[in-house]
Amino acid sequence: MSAIRFEGVTKRFGEAVAVDDLNLEIQKGEFFSLLGPSGCGKTTTLRMVAGFEQPSEGRIYLDGEPVETVPPYNRNVNTVFQSYALFEHLNVEDNVAFGLKRRKIPKDEIRTRVAEALELVELRGCEKSQPSELSGGQKQRVALARALVNRPSVLLLDEPLGALDLKLRKQMQVELKGIQREVEITFLYVTHDQEEALAMSDRIAVMEGGQVKQCSSPEDVYEHPTGPFVAGFIGVSNLLPGVAENGGVRLSSGELCKADVPGDCAPGAQVQLSVRPEKIWTEEAEEGMVSIEGTVVERVYVGTSTQVIVELGSGVRLIALDQNFSRAKADDRWEIGDRLTVSWHPEHSLVLR
Amino acid sequence: MSVDVAESAAAPRRAAEPARRRPPQGFDRPRFLRVFAGVFFLVLFAPIGLVILFSFNSSRSLQDFQGFSLRWYEQFFQSESLRDSLIASVQIALVTMVVATVLGTMLAYGLVRARTRWSSAANVMMLVPLVTPEIVAGASALLLFTQVGLELSITTIVLAHITFSISYVTVVVRARLSALGREVEDASMDLGATRWETFRLVTLPALWPAVIAAGLLVFALSFDDFVLSFFTTGESPQPLPVRIWTQIRFGVRPTINAIGTFMLVVSTLSIGLALLLPRLFGRRESGLGVLMGREGA
Repeated sequence: MSAIRFEGVTKRFGEAVAVDDLNLEIQKGEFFSLLGPSGCGKTTTLRMVAGFEQPSEGRIYLDGEPVETVPPYNRNVNTVFQSYALFEHLNVEDNVAFGLKRRKIPKDEIRTRVAEALELVELRGCEKSQPSELSGGQKQRVALARALVNRPSVLLLDEPLGALDLKLRKQMQVELKGIQREVEITFLYVTHDQEEALAMSDRIAVMEGGQVKQCSSPEDVYEHPTGPFVAGFIGVSNLLPGVAENGGVRLSSGELCKADVPGDCAPGAQVQLSVRPEKIWTEEAEEGMVSIEGTVVERVYVGTSTQVIVELGSGVRLIALDQNFSRAKADDRWEIGDRLTVSWHPEHSLVLR
Repeated sequence: MSVDVAESAAAPRRAAEPARRRPPQGFDRPRFLRVFAGVFFLVLFAPIGLVILFSFNSSRSLQDFQGFSLRWYEQFFQSESLRDSLIASVQIALVTMVVATVLGTMLAYGLVRARTRWSSAANVMMLVPLVTPEIVAGASALLLFTQVGLELSITTIVLAHITFSISYVTVVVRARLSALGREVEDASMDLGATRWETFRLVTLPALWPAVIAAGLLVFALSFDDFVLSFFTTGESPQPLPVRIWTQIRFGVRPTINAIGTFMLVVSTLSIGLALLLPRLFGRRESGLGVLMGREGA
């Protein structure tokens, strides 16, 4: 039995369609992410699961039960909000105990469970602090403990790390994943940060315009995007426009790139050839690789690697990522204006329509 | 955690240091502004100071102070009609405060939380009582009461006061409510609290500094209101400001100074309480911030 099941769920706000015929099944204990740009319907989807919004059409099942008639306060789900939404007039302990008190849990049990939850998020010793005295990261942990302490069947997280600085965010990603593994609760995680989704999720649903464009494992979504939107949204991707031919794609600049053209893609069709920057070689090519000559127009040093932006014939640009294996020097190999040959294995390129 | 506490404790000390080192005559704070401010406060407070001073005058004169005495206060509290008026004023202000605060808070809640196409219109319409000339409000209230055949009394004054006070409460509470945001209430329901529990356990505790401040403000406004009371009052007892006016028509007596000082103290106390209460209960915000719709620190 799945933890959450969406069956043809559509949500309209007036004329606007926020979620369009959503069909998804989220397994028990899964870390599932809804990933997409703002306005793609991911938060609306989350709010429908929590019960703050009602679907215009379709049904949502929690643990196999339809929930459209169940108000938010009777659903066995809890939410971690983007703004944390802590109760400022209560101290940390009372914030965390709020849900348990509503469910008339005995006092002793509340005390132990609150202590456990604070232990889990490493906030022991802050029980009596007021939320206004806490840092952003600590508030985040209180919000997490306040939700987890109720042992919901699903935990909903609405961009919970969005307000933290980069370093803390990276650290919390690792911790969140660890906590999820420990408590074995289904996490439904909403984010627009593709790196975050890749780092934590068991599966990712990439959304755009209220629809799921692809739903798969992080590796699959990254390596085998099913469309230009997913390829462009997840990581950096070179999308080279061209025309499908037998055995490859003819770029608008004239070169024929060997590639695996899908069967349903007739010769002559307009396609895009997708190649990830880190799959592109700037050294000498191996046997069987696609090689194209171009001019360096920009090089961007980012520490671990150097991005080399290469302009092919007819103005098509592509990014190659050079790993900085050895220590980089200021007089690096590539100067703007240099000619170089970029190459990749045909199996690392994807033909997208 | 321990680092954070140490930092926040050290912060005020650190902030105080630059102030000490600041040059005495910075180019950004010219001396004439201080003089200007001084003159402003002198003009503002001198007349009030005179009233207070002469309320303790032992002679009848309103020009020279001849010695300290409490005789005018004695006269004030011994006069039965003045005492009745004072009691009436306090009653009016109390009832107005309670009813207007409850209604105004409910109105604010509705205006902020019900997002319909009408709420923005209602938000503007609610401000009308604040800008309506009191003469118009008073005359129209009088007209209404006589039309429906209501006899003028304390009740009619209370009704008129409540009508114009609701807007003040709503403005103050609404600002607070908008700052609170919707997610906090969502979070409460998410954690198993029903709508009513959410209002009681989450919304109201967050609102109450604003609610109390608004209530005390309304008390002060109602207590010394003249125009509206004048139009809607019955024969007797008249509220204190109206009674004073009636007396002045028969010549200015020094008792006026005593009454004025007394009313000043009551009003100042209620406003002062409005500013102080949130602090006394451990909130880190000032009542002034609450009244002006600023978010707490």
